[in-house]
Amino acid sequence: MIAFFIKRLAQAVLVMFVISLISFSIQDNLGDPLREMVGQSVSEAERQALRDELGLNDPFLVQYGRFVKNALQGDLGTSYFFKEPALDVILGKLPATLELVFGASLIIIGLSVPLGVYSAINPQSLFSKAVMGISIVGISVPVFLTAIGLIYFFSIELGLMPSYGRGDTVEILGLETSLLTADGWSHLVLPAVSLASIMLPLFIRLIRAEMMEVLQSEYVKFAWAKGLMTRRIYFLHALKNTMLPVITVGGVQIGTMVAYTILTETVFQWPGMGFLFLEAVNRVDTPLIVAYLIVVGAIFVITNTIVDLIYGLVNPTVKLAGKK
Amino acid sequence: MALLEVKSLEVSFGLRSGAVKALRNISFTLERGERLGLVGESGAGKSVLGFSILNLISKPGRISGGEIWFDGKNLADLSAKELRDVRGNRISMIFQDPMMTLNPVLTIGQQMIECLKAHRKISNDAARTIAIQKLKQVYIPSPETRIDQYPHELSGGMRQRIVIAIGLLMDPDIIIADEPTTALDVTIQAEIMELMVELCDRNNVALILITHDLGVVSQVTQKAIVMYAGRIIEQGPTKEIINDAQHPYTQGLMNALPQMAIPGQRLNQIRGAMPPLQNIPTGCAFNPRCDYVMDECTKQLPGYTVSGNCQVACHMVANLKKAEQTSDEV
Amino acid sequence: MTTQNTTSDLPEKAPSAWQRFKDTHVWHSFVKDRVAQLSFTIFMGYVLMALFAPAIAPFDPYDPTQIDIMNSELPPSWNEDEGDPQFWLGTDAQGRDLWSTILYGTRISLTIGICAVLLQATIGIIIGLIAGYRGGRVDSILMRFADVQLSFSTMMVAIVVLAVFQASFGTELYQELAMIMLVLVIGIAEWPQYARTIRASVLAEKKKEYVDAARVMGLGQVRIMFRHILPNTLSPILVISTVQVANAIISEASLSFLGLGMPVSQPSLGSLISSGFEYIFSGAWWITVIPGVVLVVLVLVMNLLGDWLRDVLNPKLYKG
Repeated sequence: MIAFFIKRLAQAVLVMFVISLISFSIQDNLGDPLREMVGQSVSEAERQALRDELGLNDPFLVQYGRFVKNALQGDLGTSYFFKEPALDVILGKLPATLELVFGASLIIIGLSVPLGVYSAINPQSLFSKAVMGISIVGISVPVFLTAIGLIYFFSIELGLMPSYGRGDTVEILGLETSLLTADGWSHLVLPAVSLASIMLPLFIRLIRAEMMEVLQSEYVKFAWAKGLMTRRIYFLHALKNTMLPVITVGGVQIGTMVAYTILTETVFQWPGMGFLFLEAVNRVDTPLIVAYLIVVGAIFVITNTIVDLIYGLVNPTVKLAGKK
Repeated sequence: MALLEVKSLEVSFGLRSGAVKALRNISFTLERGERLGLVGESGAGKSVLGFSILNLISKPGRISGGEIWFDGKNLADLSAKELRDVRGNRISMIFQDPMMTLNPVLTIGQQMIECLKAHRKISNDAARTIAIQKLKQVYIPSPETRIDQYPHELSGGMRQRIVIAIGLLMDPDIIIADEPTTALDVTIQAEIMELMVELCDRNNVALILITHDLGVVSQVTQKAIVMYAGRIIEQGPTKEIINDAQHPYTQGLMNALPQMAIPGQRLNQIRGAMPPLQNIPTGCAFNPRCDYVMDECTKQLPGYTVSGNCQVACHMVANLKKAEQTSDEV
Repeated sequence: MTTQNTTSDLPEKAPSAWQRFKDTHVWHSFVKDRVAQLSFTIFMGYVLMALFAPAIAPFDPYDPTQIDIMNSELPPSWNEDEGDPQFWLGTDAQGRDLWSTILYGTRISLTIGICAVLLQATIGIIIGLIAGYRGGRVDSILMRFADVQLSFSTMMVAIVVLAVFQASFGTELYQELAMIMLVLVIGIAEWPQYARTIRASVLAEKKKEYVDAARVMGLGQVRIMFRHILPNTLSPILVISTVQVANAIISEASLSFLGLGMPVSQPSLGSLISSGFEYIFSGAWWITVIPGVVLVVLVLVMNLLGDWLRDVLNPKLYKG
């Protein structure tokens, strides 16, 4: 277990190092901090003096060292637009994005496993064929089009759901959440459905394909020959093996999910990190862009560690513990 | 009454290009404690026959004719639940490749205990005790620790012992072993085979041994069935078949055994290959490869001729018998 | 199996490439599969539309002199009250003929998709061949690199890279370079898909005798890799490529929708949808819906073709 964590930690440090390098070079090349701090009227000599004072003329490594030191203390600079610490601005929007991801994951996990398993067990049934047909259409519709379509039907034509924003929130344990209000849920449904729309068919197809392969395996045949209950064969012997590759792919897809939150949040004007990031790009708000990258990098590292941990727990051939 | 009686069993596979018969007109009996060898090239239908006894043929295959009587009951009449009570409990199976037979994500113990609990009302602790006892019977060292390990932590020979232990778990009446030693190292093949014979003898279990190795059949079994292209072409007591094979195909198999070869000379092969099931020649399926092929072999499917204690499906043997009878009469 | 028949039909000369193709499994299953035929026909329709866009389109959407702002937001011409028969699919917010703009947009989307996939395939095939053929440390370093790249998801990488470029180049210069940037970003971000699949098939092929034979004959490594191993990995390449072009088109559309791709003055299908989205609330649904349907049908037929090819060729694809 300890060995596993040390290995993970080393990887995490490496990934964060790469992200910090990228972020720093963005900060270094994008926009002149002086432009934001002082007006046009300041003379060139004064500018140079200010640059020296701020350390902007120091060698690259010194500047990078200072950046990392500040970053480790949670100081990623001040947003030009909000005039607040960039990290605080980003973290303030994190709960909204997490809610969206949570809602979408709920839909994906809740539907993909039963549908994938069912269509693997009964590949010839009409329902399975319908599921497969719909899922290939689902893969072919970009997230933003699904989102637009949902808004058009449910908000504009039917007027059933709000078309943008997050809805009422309540504060619990110092965090704002809309998951505890009916209004919040009604705002969450459409964005969560659109975020789930592209991953869900992918997972249904993956689970179905893996399950069908596992059902052909010798150990499943042996389980039948042992006279076990049908339920036990499908949901223990077959499903546990099916989930191994699915967990791996799930880990890879987390990155895609975060990217798609940017699209979904843009269409629904969902006040999360992705929407904020795109605004920051348009405003060339460098500290905010950098803070976003670092927060997203941290999310990657954490979720990938959790996925690896789950994989290790499910798959006995992977040794988490050092015991022999 | 025989323990197991198969009567004109027929199995077909519905493919897009039409149904293909994998087994045709299979009939044989098996007594309690008897050991039966099922011999043939790969693709002859041996494994399909093994699986069809437990009605476990994978789709699109299905039993399309005939009856399987086990202990006085027709297996086709059983409900799904009754059939499950037979599988693994009264008739168990041992598969070819122990690397693939055990579920990689479950411990040995889980895979043994679930089988006990599926067929008996039994506590986990009691089931575990039985499982450990069975592991001892197949000579697994320190079974108390092995039982909590996963398959990948054990060697191939060890895994096949465990598969055998699972097969014996419920003290079945019949064990169907589908090439139980082919996937193992040559050095431990004999060991595993001896173990199986010993355990079957001790518990009075009937064994159906599916193999392509006539040598093993001659050492282990009392009765042998030779299959070709989905049909039984010769069956009878093993000794008679080994010492005095009647069908040209069986003779060919015997001559191809390395033990039969004269040192320094080429091994005798049967020329050609078995036809695919979609494309079986009319008449005797073996006729394109047979050295003694006659006109009627290409036209008419040979029936079974009794020769000694054996049954043989061959026109030539039938003609010889007829000639013998007429000469006896004269 | 079936080749025996043709050789007996044409004993004196070898069958032509077309004859041989007609005997393949691929052709036989194509003849039977209605979905595959329909998808292929529609896909060819798209290709023709894209190739001959300037000839088919009644207007040139890039020519400001042909655009009249007075014509903006006209509904399709089947709407008799307001439609103008000149613009059968209506016009967009700038008064451009939607049909012509869609034709040019399809051309851009397909071009970017295909070029990006060509780039992916080139990088991926070379890396996959090297990793699979050389093995050892080279292999593990390259594959570790592929894993890291994959875990960062194409969309994420593309959004960040394009956003940073846009911010540092300024919007105007960026718009001129948008097409090249899109091809580069989507092309570079997705190479691991190819590399892993090629590597897997190289590892399988490497075990076969013909590779040993080629090596014993003293052929060079590069020649063995490209002339002997590569042709045997063609079916997985074909299968991934179909799906990858579909994915690349979706990625391009998504990026353009975010304003990080093609500019509105030279719209792809994605940027056209994006520009119409503002007007959907005021009832001008066609600017969004019609290009949206065109996009979805294009991606759908490519995915259907990819699925069909995978079922027919059944290659060993890299999973996970």
